[in-house]
Amino acid sequence: MRIAVLLSAGRHPVSGRPAPVPVELQALGLALGLSDEVTGLHAGPDIGPLRDALGHGLPRLIHLASEAEDDPVPGLAAALASGGFDLVLAGRAGQGGEDSGLLPYALARALGLPIVADAVALAPGAAPGTLIVEQALARGARRRLVIRLPAVVTVHPAAPAPAPFAFAAARRGIVDVQAGPSAAEPARPASEERPYRPRPKLIARAGAGASAAERLKAATESASGGGRLLVAPSPEEAAGEILQHLRALGLLPGR
Amino acid sequence: MTELALLLSLTVLAMVAVAGTLATRRALLWRIGGAAKVDWAAGLLALPRRYLVDVHHIVGRDAYAARMHALAAGGLIVGSALALLGLVPALGDIRLFWWLTALAFAAAFAGGAMVGRRRYPRRPARLSGGRFQLLPFLLAAYAGGGFLVALDASLGGALWPLGCAGLAFAAVGGLGLALQIDRGPMRHAFAGAAHLVAHPRPGRFAGERATALAPLALDTPRLGAAMPEDFAFNRLIGFDACIQCGRCEVACPAFAAGQPLNPKRLIQDLAASLQPHASNATYAGSPYPNARPVAGVGGPGLPIVGIGAMIHPDTLWSCTTCRACVEECPMMIEHVDAIIDLRRFQTLELGAVPPRAALPLMELRYADEPSGRPLAARTDFAAGLPLPLMATRGGADILLWLGEGAYELRYGRTLRALVSLLHKAKVDFAVLGAEERDCGDLARRLGDEAGFQRLARANIETLSRYRFARILTADPHALHALRNEYKDFGGAYEVVHHTAFLDELAATGRLELGALSEARVTYHDPCYLGRYNGEVDAPRRLLDRLGIARLEMERSGKRSMCCGGGGGAPVSDIEGERRIPDIRMAQAMATGAGIVAVACPQCSAMLEGVTGERPAVHDIAELVLMAVERADAAPARTAEGVA
Ligand code: SF4
Ligand code: SF4
Repeated sequence: MRIAVLLSAGRHPVSGRPAPVPVELQALGLALGLSDEVTGLHAGPDIGPLRDALGHGLPRLIHLASEAEDDPVPGLAAALASGGFDLVLAGRAGQGGEDSGLLPYALARALGLPIVADAVALAPGAAPGTLIVEQALARGARRRLVIRLPAVVTVHPAAPAPAPFAFAAARRGIVDVQAGPSAAEPARPASEERPYRPRPKLIARAGAGASAAERLKAATESASGGGRLLVAPSPEEAAGEILQHLRALGLLPGR
Repeated sequence: MTELALLLSLTVLAMVAVAGTLATRRALLWRIGGAAKVDWAAGLLALPRRYLVDVHHIVGRDAYAARMHALAAGGLIVGSALALLGLVPALGDIRLFWWLTALAFAAAFAGGAMVGRRRYPRRPARLSGGRFQLLPFLLAAYAGGGFLVALDASLGGALWPLGCAGLAFAAVGGLGLALQIDRGPMRHAFAGAAHLVAHPRPGRFAGERATALAPLALDTPRLGAAMPEDFAFNRLIGFDACIQCGRCEVACPAFAAGQPLNPKRLIQDLAASLQPHASNATYAGSPYPNARPVAGVGGPGLPIVGIGAMIHPDTLWSCTTCRACVEECPMMIEHVDAIIDLRRFQTLELGAVPPRAALPLMELRYADEPSGRPLAARTDFAAGLPLPLMATRGGADILLWLGEGAYELRYGRTLRALVSLLHKAKVDFAVLGAEERDCGDLARRLGDEAGFQRLARANIETLSRYRFARILTADPHALHALRNEYKDFGGAYEVVHHTAFLDELAATGRLELGALSEARVTYHDPCYLGRYNGEVDAPRRLLDRLGIARLEMERSGKRSMCCGGGGGAPVSDIEGERRIPDIRMAQAMATGAGIVAVACPQCSAMLEGVTGERPAVHDIAELVLMAVERADAAPARTAEGVA
């Protein structure tokens, strides 16, 4: 199985220094558990400490050299399409960049591949050309899927830790620099940069004048999310539920 | 010369020939080792001194063993040499000569008897069995037989029936001993001598502590030691020098805690690996406690560490690098260097660090701090206390190195005490603040030499930007790195530990100390201060100034026992039966002290972690601050009070 692991230019969340993104190293760990034919792929101006992925067991890293402002999607899509990969792994989001987690989706669309999010374990499926994906859901729940390859899979931080770093392996590994097609990134909306602050927990509010017990209940219950669990609903039923939920949140105009 | 005496001389000659052949065969195996710089001439010249002074200084800690060895080895060598000389006709015909020879053999016999008494009827656990149990009989046979023959010769053949029996004994015992020379107990004799000549740390014989790890060139094709040939040849000689006396085993904290490490067994496994088609089957000493199963096979070209090899990785990671084994070893073997070489290969080449040690090494790589905390938060402990920054001052008399302990709540209290004392004594000092990175000790002990060297270079670059006379630190690990290990990367500093510095302030009257009367205190020596740097007096002198009752634990000073906090052992976290700090705390409790004085953030954390009824743990800086506050509270003694 030929696997590509997407590596992005991350930053350490505390020191702010360039660093590999931990969840992408975890993706690498899952890839190495499946196959020896693993290639790392990075599009950007600088390889920097992504070289260290070689120390975590990556045998070969392709660096698609491009300008910092370039959109990485076309270059990556072209490299992935020509590389004949069965599986493309990415982290669920980068760390230190825009961290929107959208790139794998954009790539999946460009390549016309299915995408499965938040894998914590991967195993070859019983039928050839399939893959068993264990997916992390909220609050520790897990779901097992069997998907047909090729596909794009993003990896969740709950996946096992990557193999520890080995300096000599990083020294030995191969970095293959290729010119990525330059493609100006579509103008992004003006944005503002601020230091990160953890978002306060949303606490459901009990109605005015509620008793202490009710307020406590409301405060503690919010942690359990609410909502309804539907097991194997019909597509119509599921779609109806989603629309209803969005309406309840005021995100869709009322009927 | 009697015919029997002539036959004895020929027996000795045969012995020498057999032993020489076997020893040469063994010594040829050392050639697989890597090159090392050895000053042969100086080593050879120094051999008698190294043996008679340095080795006997250690052997002499066990008076019985010292007498036993002096008699057995001295008698054996002198007796055999004289018997050989007897072949010179002019000497062989002198009766007095044979009488002297008989005397030497009698001494050797007495030594042999002492060997026997030590091993029979019950062999102490630290001594090895197997071939070693045969040793007293071979010694007694050879020495006793030699004695009878020489005695007979000194009387001109008057006792010839006894002489005949003696010759038979001498021949059997002598050849038995000679046959032990390549793999048995007698190997220590020639390998030990060679080790003393070609010792990898000659500074140890010149009064230096010589404890810094040797830097590893990061462009070497194979980093660290995987196979026997990856060790320098003089390291291989060192492994062969082991006499299996078990002193290291008794001193080893990991062994005591039931972790799978026994330094004696480790050295034996390494020595065994030298032999092609090696196996560890002949070892007959105490095993690794709770040994993890390994194949127990190896040899040149084969890996040493691994399930399918000689040594289980857990054995390597159990070591706290406390150097207690090295301190106790009469053969001056360097266990810690061997362990670090093996760890370097595991970490740098295989990335096979213990699971919980991988994260701190990763955080060090990208944040210069093993827990990934902001470097600027290192000074948070001082909230409210003025803490001058080098960056704003540009220089100061003293650069205060805070170390990793600064992030810990408990140790923060110690550092606050130290900073308060510096203010009280009006010391001109400053800290690096956010510019201080981890010193690299943890990375280096875990085998991550690349990480250590990067941190060392970065810190040296930072330090080069400021003016200061001395570096002061409360962390002996940082002290050791900065004082001894940064030298190899171009950083030479005068580094002083806070205990020595406070002692100096008290001696020069810059700190006035009141008495902490009625406190009963025992002092726990940090390995990296006492054993690594030889500083055992200053902390005690300082404690004595506090007017306390100072009690000594059974193991103290350079022979102190580790708290379990060094060498990355807390993050490697290899399972044993007991915890090392619990063992050490029990030793402290046995003194009846109410306070254990410490002088290291690791010791502080490990000993504070001991649960149940136990003495309080205080860093010496905290005790000194208490004493200073006592003095302040007694107005008659202060300057203002007098005015
Ligand atoms: S290594 Fe040293 S202390 Fe340990 S058994 Fe061998 S000779 Fe004795
Ligand atoms: S350094 Fe300490 S822990 Fe390591 S083997 Fe020697 S005595 Fe044991």
